Formats: sequence, structure tokens, C-alpha cells
Amino acid sequence: MSEQATTPVVRLDHISRVYHAGSIAVPAVRDISLEIRPRVFCVIVGPSGSGKTTLLNMIGCIDVPDSGGVEVQGEDVLRLSDNALADFRARNIGYVFQSFNLIPVLSAFENVEYPLLLLNVPAAERRRRTLAMLEAVGLETQARQRPNELSGGQKQRVAIARALVKEPALVLADEPTANLDSATGTAITNLMRRMQETFHTSFIFSTHDPRLMAEADQTFSIRDGILV
Amino acid sequence: MLFRLALRNISRNRRRSVMTASLVAMGALAMLLFGAFTTYIFAGIETGLVQRGGHLTVYRQGYFLFGPGNPAAYGIDDHLAVMRDIQNDPVLREMINVITPTQALVGIAGNFSGGTSASKTFFGTGLVGADLERMRQWNEHGAGRPYVPDDRLSDPNASRGVIGRGVARMLGLCGDLHVPNCPSPEAKPAAGGAAPPLDPALADLAHDEQGGRPDVGSGPQIQLLSATADGAPNIVSLDVAGVDTQSVKELDDNYVAMPLLLAQQLVYGRGEHKVTGIVLQLHHTRDVPVARARLLAMIAERHLPLEVRDFRELNPFFVQVVGLFSLIFVFLSLIMVMIVLFAVVNTMTMNVLERTAEIGTVRAMGVRRASIRRLFLTEGAILGALGASLGVALAFIAIAVINHSGMQWTPPGNTDAIPFQLAWPTRPALLLGSWLGLVLAATLATLPPANRAAKSRIVDALRHV
Repeated sequence: MSEQATTPVVRLDHISRVYHAGSIAVPAVRDISLEIRPRVFCVIVGPSGSGKTTLLNMIGCIDVPDSGGVEVQGEDVLRLSDNALADFRARNIGYVFQSFNLIPVLSAFENVEYPLLLLNVPAAERRRRTLAMLEAVGLETQARQRPNELSGGQKQRVAIARALVKEPALVLADEPTANLDSATGTAITNLMRRMQETFHTSFIFSTHDPRLMAEADQTFSIRDGILV
Repeated sequence: MLFRLALRNISRNRRRSVMTASLVAMGALAMLLFGAFTTYIFAGIETGLVQRGGHLTVYRQGYFLFGPGNPAAYGIDDHLAVMRDIQNDPVLREMINVITPTQALVGIAGNFSGGTSASKTFFGTGLVGADLERMRQWNEHGAGRPYVPDDRLSDPNASRGVIGRGVARMLGLCGDLHVPNCPSPEAKPAAGGAAPPLDPALADLAHDEQGGRPDVGSGPQIQLLSATADGAPNIVSLDVAGVDTQSVKELDDNYVAMPLLLAQQLVYGRGEHKVTGIVLQLHHTRDVPVARARLLAMIAERHLPLEVRDFRELNPFFVQVVGLFSLIFVFLSLIMVMIVLFAVVNTMTMNVLERTAEIGTVRAMGVRRASIRRLFLTEGAILGALGASLGVALAFIAIAVINHSGMQWTPPGNTDAIPFQLAWPTRPALLLGSWLGLVLAATLATLPPANRAAKSRIVDALRHV
């Protein structure tokens, strides 16, 4: 195996995160160390309030631990400046949110195209990749529709296409099926699995959904901020 | 993409955006209408001043400070040669519309006819009637009153002139001149039932002066007494052709205009007929600095004891009016800008609040803080630009309506009502200044909410409901 194939896509080294509610300190993540292999379907499971989202935020470089180290794609992200970190996220990390978080004033096509604009991809290339991605998630006919004209499942498909269009090393999904009905949730799970296999991207989920857990290549359980 | 996204974000809450843009439009409308009004005022006053006194006047050195007290002592030697030199100058020749001599004088005007014996001091002007008529047609800005020919000073009868309404009133000539709204003094018979006799020496002078001329006309007549350049008393008779009401009462109570020759006869007697001023009316006011510089160079080159004054120096009232209205405009603009600032701050703060989760989303996707700030600033600028553009359009419509409404008013410096008109606000400083000022205000007003959006933590923004 090549070195790239064996280097963890994410390495957390004794990270801790404490939130402060007034004078009360609430530890969300306590001394967690883990490594996530590349090109896996990885699931972080745990009850509500266990620290899943906090852990995912730190992996996704949108939150920083109070102590410990975070490496993503071999990069010590805690040493990056704010702008460098933004650029790093733009290049390497895709997000799928529980509430889809599409930009309401942009069409499905434009929402998917948006991450490529951040990477200054030429217009023709942008268009080709956006259309290909919309086709991959089965929304080529809804390209011109705005989010308010799409169903929940369609919105999440657009969100997945948006996360994958820049071909990131890592896609993070915070309970992506939580706001979907059972059938749609299953369809989305299957879609993500298929996309992960097609694009060889690492997917990391936080979830309660047993269907997602069943699909996992690597699973981490967290309770009260500690890996169990 | 930035512009497209900003434009769509503005249309997200249409009612709010329309209200904000409307406020900006009202600001632009108010600023431009007031600017158009002041431009018209300035143009109207300038036109009146230039029609009467030209753009530039050449005086004998020291006249501006001391001459009005003793005009006879400040006559320009060989003024015809000076005028000829000016007219022949290749630069000035192209700029000059009218060049004409004037003679200022002070003295006592008296009406000793018909049993009255009224007299009063006067400030007189001797001028060339035909030149004055050409000057009265100057209307560079289109802000002058419609030209009505007036030959009262152009008549071959060199003793015919006009006086201020106040002079007519005090000399008891309102009835003879049929001046409306001009009361005559109550008749107060002097002791003995007759007017007191004129000083015998002056009476002789008046008689000689009267007897030396042919037909003096059928209108009222006044006698003008002044001192010649040599200090000797002199007197002429003036056939009063009518009244020329002056806008300032003090001037109106002292104003006498007469043909240049008559004024020169009164001031210089049989001596050399000089003038106190050479008036230059230019085709365009913008040429004043160049023409003035050229005149000064010419004066210096020929070592002439002359000075040059422009119409602003001679009419400080005009400068004060410009200053006053400019100050009012600045205050009005500040108020408008403040209103726009508050409106846009409010709107953009609401926008940021409503889009907090969206800001977190795009930040998570890799958008930099500066890009977030830029997006909101662009939205503010677009709102400002839309509002200001709408305001400009409304201002032009409003001006067209006002200018065709037939309203009348009496502006400062005028004595009669004239059509109320607004100048088209095409002056770049006004049009672009107002537009850019409001767009800038709207953009700056967006800065605090834009900064707040840019500085928000991603995880907090994503949690925002």
C-alpha cells in the first residue's frame, strides 16, 4: 500500500474541549485520541449531548480544542491562520448538515457550483463538474430549482453534491438523515455509500441512525465526551 | 457571483429592501431638489448682477476702497485708449461680450417744480444706454427674466434718465411718473404759502443749465447737484423717464441712472471727460479668472494705475448668499445621510441576524471572513445605488413638473415676481456628489453589521436558529 493510502486522514491527539455557560464549565470532549483511515465510511455514535458534534466540528476545522492536536490530511490545522484554515476547508473538507443548510437564493445548480467558485475553477470546468455531480445524485432535472422548491430528500442530495463536487479528502456529515423520513433516509444513506465508493472520499458521520451504523467501515462511540 | 448573490439577497426581503431604498431615494431627492434650487438661485442672482454690472470692472487704483466717496478724483485717464487696448487683446477679444464705460457720482437731487422743494442725496451712475441694453440680454444660465427692451437710457436725448422708486417717492414724483404703490408726501405749504426759494447761485446755475439745452421733454425733471473734479459746484437737469426699482431699499432711495455724457458733464464740467470704471461683460462666467489675469498682466505691462475687480468682490451679498445656501445644503445633506445611515444599519443588521446560520455554512465551506464582509458591503452599496438612482430619477421628474407648473416667486435681489424654476442638477459636483455620497453612506452603514457577520464564530453561527 502507498504511504498516502495508509496515512490517517484525521489524527486527533488528546484533544479536549470545554464550553463555558456563565461560570459553569461543561466539558464536551475529554482527552480523545483517534485516527481515521482514508477512504472509509466512518461513524461517530453516541447519545445526544455526548460530544459527537463537537468532535466533528474539530475534525472539520470549524472549532478548535482547548488542548491537544488535530491533523487533517497530514496538516497540523491548529497552526494555520484563519484565512489559511478557510482555504484548507475549501480545498479538503465537504459538509453535509442535518438541516441541509443550502443557500436559499441560489438554485440547486448554483449551490453545487458554489464550492468550485471558492477554488477559482474555470467556468466551463465548473459547469461540467456541477452537472456531473447533479446527475450523480439524480437531480439533473432539478438543477434550476431553488431549495424551497425541493423536498427534504432532494435538498440533502443537493447538499451531498455540494460537499462532493470539489472532490474533497473528507466529507463530514452531522446527522444527515435526522430530518428525513425513513425511506428517504435509507435512500440518502445508500447514495452516500455509493458516492464514497465512487469518489474514494472519507465520510465521517455523527449519527443515531442504525442504517448508517450498519454501513460503517470504522466506528467510534462517544459518551460524556469520552471514547468508549 | 458576489454581485449576483448580493442582488438576490437584497430581493430576499423585498419590502424591507424597498423601504430602505426608498429612504435613500428620498435623501437623494431632497438633496438634488435643494441643490437645483440653490443652483437656480445662484444663477439668477449672478445673471442679475452681470446684466447690470458685468463680470469685471477696471478702476483707477484705490477706487475700490476710497473712490465711492469721491468718484471725481478717481477718473481713468484716457479711458478710450484703455478700452481700445482691451478690445484689441487677442485673448480678451474672444471672451468679451460687452465693454462699456461708467461714471459713478454722488450729489444732491432736487425737485423744485410745481411748488415742491424736495431734495436728497443720491448715488448716480452714468452709462451708455445701448451697451446696457446689450448687457441686459446676457443670460448664460437661462435664469434671467425675459428680456424686455428698455430705451429710457438709449434715447438721443442725453438728459433722460431713470431714478429709484425711493428717490421718486421722496422727491414727490410718484404721481407724475404714475408709479404704483408709491405714495406722495402730504402737501405742507411752507410759511407764506410758497416753496422756499432756491439759493440764488444755484438757481442761476440751474437756469443756465436749463437754458443751454434744447427741448427737455414733457416729463418731470429734477436737478442734480454735484462737485466737479476741481471742487466747484455743478448742476444739471435730468428728465426723469421712469422708475427703476432697486431691490435694496438704501440703494432704491438713492439711485439715479443717467447717460454717461450727462454724468461726465456734471462731474468734469468742461474738463477732460473721464470715467470711473470700464465694465467688461464676458460671454461666460467661467472665463472670469482668465480674463482677470489677462487684464492684470496688461495693466502691469503698461504700468497703468488701474485695478480690476470682479462681480463677486463688488457684490459681497452674492458671496454671502452662496455661502449661506451652501451651508444649508451641507446641513440638509448631513441630515439625509444620517437618516440613510440609520435605515441601512437597521436593515443590514436584520439581514445579518436572519442569515447567521447561512453565514456559518459558507464559512464552514471555506469562505473567508473578508468575503463575508465584502458580500454585506456589496449589498449595502447596491441598496444605496438603487435608492440614489431612484432619487435622481424622481428629482428630474419633480423638476420637470415644477418648471412647468407656472409657479412664481420673488427671489432675493429681485423686485418683481418671476417664474419659479429649478435648475437641472447636472452639475457633476451636485449630481455625482449626492449619488456617491448616499451610496457611500449606505455602504459605510453596512460596515458594523458586516463586521459582526464576518467575526461570528462558525459553530455559534451554525447553531443559530
